[in-house]
Amino acid sequence: MALLTVKNLSVGYHTRKGFLKSVQGVSFALDQGKSLGLVGESGCGKTTIGMALMGLLPDNASVTNGEILFEDQDLLKMSKKEIRQIRWKKIAMIFQAAMNALNPVHRVSEQISEAILAHDADISEEAAMKQVESLFQLVGIPPDRMRDYPHHYSGGMKQRAIIAMALACHPSLIIADEPTTALDVIVQEQILSAIKDLQNKLKISVIFISHDIAVVADVCDNIGIMFASQLVEYGRIEEVFHAPMHPYTKSLLASYLTLDKDVVQVNSYIGKTPDLINPTTGCLFCERCSVAEATCSLRAPEWVNISLTHKALCYQCK
Amino acid sequence: MVERFLEGWSVYKENLIGKIGLTLLAIFALMAICSFFPPIIDPMYHPMTGVDPQISHSTSPSWRHWLGTDFIGRDILCQLLAGARIAFMVGISAAFMSIFLGTVVGMIAGYSGKIVDTLLMRLADMILVMPTLLIVLILSSLFGQLNIWTIVLLIALFRWPGVSRVIRAQTLSLKERPFIEAAKVAGASHFRIIFRHIMPNVLPLSLLYMTFRVTSAIIIEAALAFLGFGDPSTVSWGMMLQWVWKTGHMFQAPYWLLPPGICISLLTLSFYMLGRAMEEVLDPRLRKEIAQE
Amino acid sequence: MKDPNKVIIKLENISKTFRTRASLFKGDQKEVMALKQVSLNIYRGEIFGLVGESGSGKTTTGRLIVKLEEPDDGKLLLDGNDITKIKGKALKNFRRKVQMIFQDPYQSLNPYFSVYDSVSEPLVVHNVGNSEIRKDMVRESLNSVGLAPPDDFFYRYPHQMSGGQRQRIAIARAMVLKPEFVVADEPTSMLDASIAIHIFNILSEIQKKLNVTFLFITHSLAAARYLCDRIAVIYKGELVEIGSAENIIQNPSHPYTRALINAHPRFRF
Repeated sequence: MALLTVKNLSVGYHTRKGFLKSVQGVSFALDQGKSLGLVGESGCGKTTIGMALMGLLPDNASVTNGEILFEDQDLLKMSKKEIRQIRWKKIAMIFQAAMNALNPVHRVSEQISEAILAHDADISEEAAMKQVESLFQLVGIPPDRMRDYPHHYSGGMKQRAIIAMALACHPSLIIADEPTTALDVIVQEQILSAIKDLQNKLKISVIFISHDIAVVADVCDNIGIMFASQLVEYGRIEEVFHAPMHPYTKSLLASYLTLDKDVVQVNSYIGKTPDLINPTTGCLFCERCSVAEATCSLRAPEWVNISLTHKALCYQCK
Repeated sequence: MVERFLEGWSVYKENLIGKIGLTLLAIFALMAICSFFPPIIDPMYHPMTGVDPQISHSTSPSWRHWLGTDFIGRDILCQLLAGARIAFMVGISAAFMSIFLGTVVGMIAGYSGKIVDTLLMRLADMILVMPTLLIVLILSSLFGQLNIWTIVLLIALFRWPGVSRVIRAQTLSLKERPFIEAAKVAGASHFRIIFRHIMPNVLPLSLLYMTFRVTSAIIIEAALAFLGFGDPSTVSWGMMLQWVWKTGHMFQAPYWLLPPGICISLLTLSFYMLGRAMEEVLDPRLRKEIAQE
Repeated sequence: MKDPNKVIIKLENISKTFRTRASLFKGDQKEVMALKQVSLNIYRGEIFGLVGESGSGKTTTGRLIVKLEEPDDGKLLLDGNDITKIKGKALKNFRRKVQMIFQDPYQSLNPYFSVYDSVSEPLVVHNVGNSEIRKDMVRESLNSVGLAPPDDFFYRYPHQMSGGQRQRIAIARAMVLKPEFVVADEPTSMLDASIAIHIFNILSEIQKKLNVTFLFITHSLAAARYLCDRIAVIYKGELVEIGSAENIIQNPSHPYTRALINAHPRFRF
């Protein structure tokens, strides 16, 4: 039984110009202990999904459709109080640029123990601090750095502290939104392997949200490619990387620069972002697609099952 | 840029305070415009010189004089309308001059840094601590009655430091921004950077402060006039209050005392409301709607 | 059209130290040696990559070359001429030849300038041409970065455009005077990976058309490999390795380079 099942989720924002359909009909499932990568460019809706899972959508957002089943309970039908019970204790989130969210005038260990105390009424301050110690050990921060202030930490250490904070209440699911932005390659690799390590040790499920397919390549079991509010391809990571089906996935993989592939000139084309206030009825990727045909702009594409676990939203991949 | 203005306008429209303020302002502006008509209709309605041949003392409101007459028979309503005109003129010109001065000084101080910055800001500090009203009072007692434009100039000269500090702070933060560095790398001179690149970015703040300055300018002028140091040849609300007081009609003629007092309060309030609503337009963080994704 | 004999930009023993701002406690003031005796030759017509992590001194190098900062020690030469301490008219002339593309497209355009205003700024500053000629030059520049039809973009404002478009405008602005040397400081680190490739291709095309020399500053070895002819690896203010891109990646000699290579995400499928 899956830990998390998202069924047909649709979310939009009320803006001055109209109702912006940020997420349309997204479905996926995640088993306990597995990780999922959600990859797409800015504005595709991936962060909105993360916020919806945490119950942290802003006031001008509305969920227009769908279910989010976490441990068999629909998060969307819960009251604010019930969600607060789940947030941080069962589902934790590492926000974008979270390391900048550390309060500069409090010691790092205090901030983490505060998070623990806030969510667990029974624990004592000493016990909380002991937990902080073990968390630091888990994420690889030396114990003598515990009482430092955030500005004494490097970018990588701050990010580790944020991960420790997310783990503080032993959640079963962590949502990591761009966990390695602004970090150098070497530090990025350390953070990603730390997360992978934690996943194996603690059997936590992780959802990685990123615009960079490289980040999820090493750490995820499954991957979902998002474009303009829709999930366009989904499958096990080996399947999607080996045999990408959707034209957008192919272009994403082509722009993934590594050191071992041959240097090949990549043909790129940037199109306009599709209008999500009045989206067309046809395929939203049509304008940017190199293999688009006449029917693509008229009829919305349907899911094509390439294997039991791999599917793509495109007519061209039969 | 038009689109930006329209966007700002749509935010402004939703602010209740802003709408009230704008409405009040519109009423006063109308009053100011209308102040030209009564003397044309009948010379007895001239605020300064219009004396009613039949009345030569203070009377309460009547059909002939909607707000009554003052101690020598001049129509109070016309005086009120003329006062609106003066208030706008004084308020806006004094505010404009002090903001202009303050913005230029603030930008130069913030951008230059070091000695120039220190000198300018120490000058600003010195002026800031001087009591404007007191000094103008002293000056007018030394030099006799002051012309209204001299008063405006003095208000401007004593009020620029406040806004210069704020503009300086904004300039300091703008100075480090990449688009300013890009202008430097393109070869722009310091003058060009200050007036072409930095100025548009600080102008919204300047305009905001201007609305607050207008209120203080109007009050200072009114206070001066009330205390007898205003320009005797202009009819302002403060002047009207002075006449009420001097001629001993304070408690006998509420129709004469109340209108100018109320007008001063309401006009300054409306400018203040305008400023507060503009703040919301200028700083997206203050807006009640949450920014779209 | 690379001319291996013509060095366009030369750094000779450049050193730069930054002092952290004064604080209440004297003990807190620290000196950071951003660059330690760095020497470098960049040849005309090449795309030269400078790879390093944050704090390595790579951005400082770029800023020193465009003279946003002054070195504490050492010499900077353009085409053999010492430009370390030039001022006034000489400096202004220098700025016609050496330009920069900044890292953050959301901050490098004046929000109150239209696209035309921003791209024509260098033309106005250097008094080039008249209104008509300037419009044509701006059109040419916008076309070269793929913003077509250019006239459609003239009167738009930065907040109406995406990050990728803004960065292309920044490139158009840097190229409008057809400079000889351009420093591109992490031009894609604030953009999505898919847009990054597009920007690299634009830079590559511009290089071929105008034979301009680029210094491409980045933290990604793979990006440098895709775009650059030669690469230098910088670590803690010192150049630890220099050579052709392929060479460095196949045969890294410095342990830091090896660490960079190992840390890079692999396409393991």
